[in-house]
Amino acid sequence: MNASPRLGLTSLRAHGRRFAGTFLAVFLGVAFLAGTLVMGDTLRASFDSMFGGATAGTDAVVRGADVITTPGESQGVRRPVGTSLVAAVEKVPGVAVAAPDIQGAGQLLGSDGKPIGGQGPPTLAGNWIADPKLNPYRLAEGRAPARSGEVVVNRGTAEKGGLRIGDTTVLRTPDPVRVTIVGLATFGGEDGMAQVTFTGMTRADAERYLTARPGEATSIVVRADPGVGQAELVHRLTPVLPQGVEAITGQESARENTDMIASRFLTVFTTFLLVFSGVALLVATFSIHNTFAIVVAQRTRENALLRALGASRRQVTAAALTEASAVAVTGSAAGLAGGIGIAAGLQALFPAIGFPFPEGDLVISGLSLGIPLAVGVLVCLGSALLPAVRAGRTAPLAALRESAVDTSGASRPRALLGAALLVLALAATLTGVLVSPSVWPAGLGAVLALVAFVVLGPAASGPAVRVLGGPLDRLRGVTGGLARRNALRSPGRTAATASALMIGVAVVSLFTVFGASLKATMDQTVSRSFAGDVAVSTPSFGAGGSGLSPRLAPAIGALPEVDTAVGLGRGVAEVGGEGRALTVTDPAALARTFDLGTVRGDLRALGTDGLAVTRAEADRQGLHVGDPARLAFTDGERRTFTVRAVYGQSELAGDYVITRAAWAPHRTQDADTLIAVSFKDGVSTARGKAAVERVAAHYGNPEVQTRAAYAASSAGGIDMMLTLVYALLALAVLIALLGIANTLTLAIHERTRELGLLRAVGQTRSQLRAMVRWESVLVAAFGTAGGLVLGSFLGWVLVRASDGASDSAFAFALPPARLTVVALVGLAAGALAGVRPARRAARLDVLRAVATE
Amino acid sequence: MTTATALTTAARVADAVKVYGVGDTAVRALDGVSVAFPAGRFTAIMGPSGSGKSTLMHCAAGLDTLTSGAAWIGDTELGALDDRRLTLLRRDRVGFVFQSFNLVPTLTVEENIRLPLDLAGAAGEAEWIDALVDTVGLRDRLHHRPSQLSGGQQQRVAVARAFAGRPDVVFADEPTGNLDSRTGGEVLGLLAGTVRRTGRTVVMVTHDPVAAAHADEVVFLADGRLVDRMESPTADLVLDRMKAFEVPS
Repeated sequence: MNASPRLGLTSLRAHGRRFAGTFLAVFLGVAFLAGTLVMGDTLRASFDSMFGGATAGTDAVVRGADVITTPGESQGVRRPVGTSLVAAVEKVPGVAVAAPDIQGAGQLLGSDGKPIGGQGPPTLAGNWIADPKLNPYRLAEGRAPARSGEVVVNRGTAEKGGLRIGDTTVLRTPDPVRVTIVGLATFGGEDGMAQVTFTGMTRADAERYLTARPGEATSIVVRADPGVGQAELVHRLTPVLPQGVEAITGQESARENTDMIASRFLTVFTTFLLVFSGVALLVATFSIHNTFAIVVAQRTRENALLRALGASRRQVTAAALTEASAVAVTGSAAGLAGGIGIAAGLQALFPAIGFPFPEGDLVISGLSLGIPLAVGVLVCLGSALLPAVRAGRTAPLAALRESAVDTSGASRPRALLGAALLVLALAATLTGVLVSPSVWPAGLGAVLALVAFVVLGPAASGPAVRVLGGPLDRLRGVTGGLARRNALRSPGRTAATASALMIGVAVVSLFTVFGASLKATMDQTVSRSFAGDVAVSTPSFGAGGSGLSPRLAPAIGALPEVDTAVGLGRGVAEVGGEGRALTVTDPAALARTFDLGTVRGDLRALGTDGLAVTRAEADRQGLHVGDPARLAFTDGERRTFTVRAVYGQSELAGDYVITRAAWAPHRTQDADTLIAVSFKDGVSTARGKAAVERVAAHYGNPEVQTRAAYAASSAGGIDMMLTLVYALLALAVLIALLGIANTLTLAIHERTRELGLLRAVGQTRSQLRAMVRWESVLVAAFGTAGGLVLGSFLGWVLVRASDGASDSAFAFALPPARLTVVALVGLAAGALAGVRPARRAARLDVLRAVATE
Repeated sequence: MTTATALTTAARVADAVKVYGVGDTAVRALDGVSVAFPAGRFTAIMGPSGSGKSTLMHCAAGLDTLTSGAAWIGDTELGALDDRRLTLLRRDRVGFVFQSFNLVPTLTVEENIRLPLDLAGAAGEAEWIDALVDTVGLRDRLHHRPSQLSGGQQQRVAVARAFAGRPDVVFADEPTGNLDSRTGGEVLGLLAGTVRRTGRTVVMVTHDPVAAAHADEVVFLADGRLVDRMESPTADLVLDRMKAFEVPS
């Protein structure tokens, strides 16, 4: 072995403990990354095999050819096919069985009267297909539905809702239907398709409750005679199909389903996790760089001796890099193993928390091994590169000097560069936020601000620690004073250590501020545009829930307490070639319960061929009152509407409004998403709400909320997201804390003799421990303060930039309580990070100060 | 030799044995030493390298523990104290001057001098500290950092700190080891003068006969045993006595 690698490895062996923190940082970052990738691949593969297995018996699917997809949706809306087509399809040679497949939304109520699911995954209902090969669900217990009102539900849903065979409950379609459970089903061998709930009804019930009119089905599923291939079957089917109907193979259909889940759920899921593992690795970079920088500084004399003895710069650098590579490779390899462990653990954990995770082996692809390994090694080596080069530059003369400890602070050029960057960052963000609202300059400014903060760190650490530590002298006496001065000793090091935490805290506060602003925005939206007294809605998230019965709004409207009750339904159509969501409602009543801003034209005059548009959308499409607009519906019909009104605000009412009468010919499963109710004068909210609740109880018992409660529940999803984000960021913060602990441990190693002296002249162990802990708290306080400022600023930039870039107004809010919690957590974490180094310091032998050299 | 009574003894050890290592590698650094350091006196411990003089000081001062035997500061038996009480005893009743690294680099001269008092949370003693500052002649350097002082000045600060808490006894370990003879002489004069003027007790370990000559009494150690004592030493007498050790016996 060459001299350099050998030197590197021997020194690693001798001082391996110094790199424990580095190893852990690499390990955690890589484990997170590898776990995410393996998890994503495994989920994708299991969905693949689940769909493949469940729909293996379907050889062809006949369905509407046109699909309308609105922005933000991955699954479009198709025109239904007539069930009369089944007979024609069955006559085609090579077709063994054909069955209509009727699908819609249907949410079951559990035994406690509360709706099951609806927080994300779809809540589906459909007809129970008799042919076991065409039905992706298998009957596990009981029997198939035979009479109206009998249903089969997937076992996972039944368990979650506490329902058993023979139980009677309500299915919201959204019209409440009383159903009796006669059977339990499985999907691909599991208790369900992930968290999706499924209720299978008789075909007649499905046609009655799930389609706009009887005789329609979502699609027709076809099984071929033995010996007829899928492609051949499609080929034979195509000639008999009418215009606007297509046939695809069962395999294609399965792939589409998987892709849909992949794009809607898995991609979002893995991207989300990847972003956070990126943050964790970024934080790790700082911690690792810092450790290597300190170790190189501590080894100045050793390296100088090597240089004096004739080692070249390159050899010294190579020795340092060898050490870094060894840590990088072992850390990353352990991280890979850890990541696979995490994935395996989650696979075991998911079913335990009631999330049916498809069984099957973990899918560990070359990529999901290679990427984390490469990233881990690159991060570690990249972080060690500068310190290694610095090691090579050690002057041979340094061997003769007193042991040099890195006291580098803020050099003037550095401070100037940082200040210049900060000015640039402010200029870019202010341009992007205030002058010409656009996300790009704002984003550039945000990145520059981050860099400026990191560059300015050493210059800022002195004054900041002096201010933050000011009270310590008074509160903790000489112990506190010593802690403060220790933190000030090497501003560069303090700043680098704090930077890692700063980034973590900045991301946490960014999300906190953004979340609070989103909530404030929702609040503002509701209070500004919702003029009603109570709102009826089914709280749901994502694709879940089934909406409200369209008969509920008229029923509420008939109450003596109620002045206006307006239901808002949802339709889709293509306007100018793009899919758009339509709000289907009574426009005249809408204007009474919602503040629509300035209205040009007349909302009451929409009729069956008129529509209303928001000003922003009208500007985009170049529409004015009186203009014609061509709409294409899912049933293939194209009709020309006239723009009869243009209104100002869109948040709750949507971009397009048409009447129920205009929508009726093109409608699909009927449901309202929201009913806004305003009471007659003199009716108290409590009395009115109680009256509405009594009516709602007969329609699947949806939630009736006052304006304030409705605003709060609209923002409910944000808290859920924030909790998840906090959990994911905990890892980055943990890595930052490991960095603080590591720096402290190394500093204590440097200060052995000083600590011994303090102990000799009478510092008690607990005083010594307190001193180290307070130093840790101070470093953490500096990082936390920087992170709070940076994160709040970035949050402001993000909110203002989004405000400028979109037409809906965006409110900015700083949540003081939450940010205080973030600050306290940062400080507490600093104290925690100091515990181990403090204990180690307290164990030091007093005599080492006395025994000279 | 342990006849001095507790009242007039600042520190003492009896039958002190200190063994480092175990088995074949065991070294008896102290091999049954009994010695008392009388109060109000300046005592020097002399001996060649490896004679156990530093070990004796460490054990007498409560920095290290004895393998067997006992050590007292005043009438407090050190073996009976846990780490905390030992630390408090050092803080309140013992002062230290070491060969090097005597000061905390982040503290000013004044803060270094007050360090034992500050650690104890003691407020007063302003006059005493004031007098000490004048004695060591550092009034114009009070707000300097140790790195801004010469070696001799640093050691004078250390002496002032050692006496700051009015300790029963000050232990000095080769206090002039890193100094030239002139500054070394100043520091020794300071130690001796403070003992005479304030009646404090100083125990100093040294291998330098000139340093030992500043003491009231010298005790000689060789191979972990007490071999001789000398009242009113001079450099020449001590040097002669030391030379005798080097003759193979």
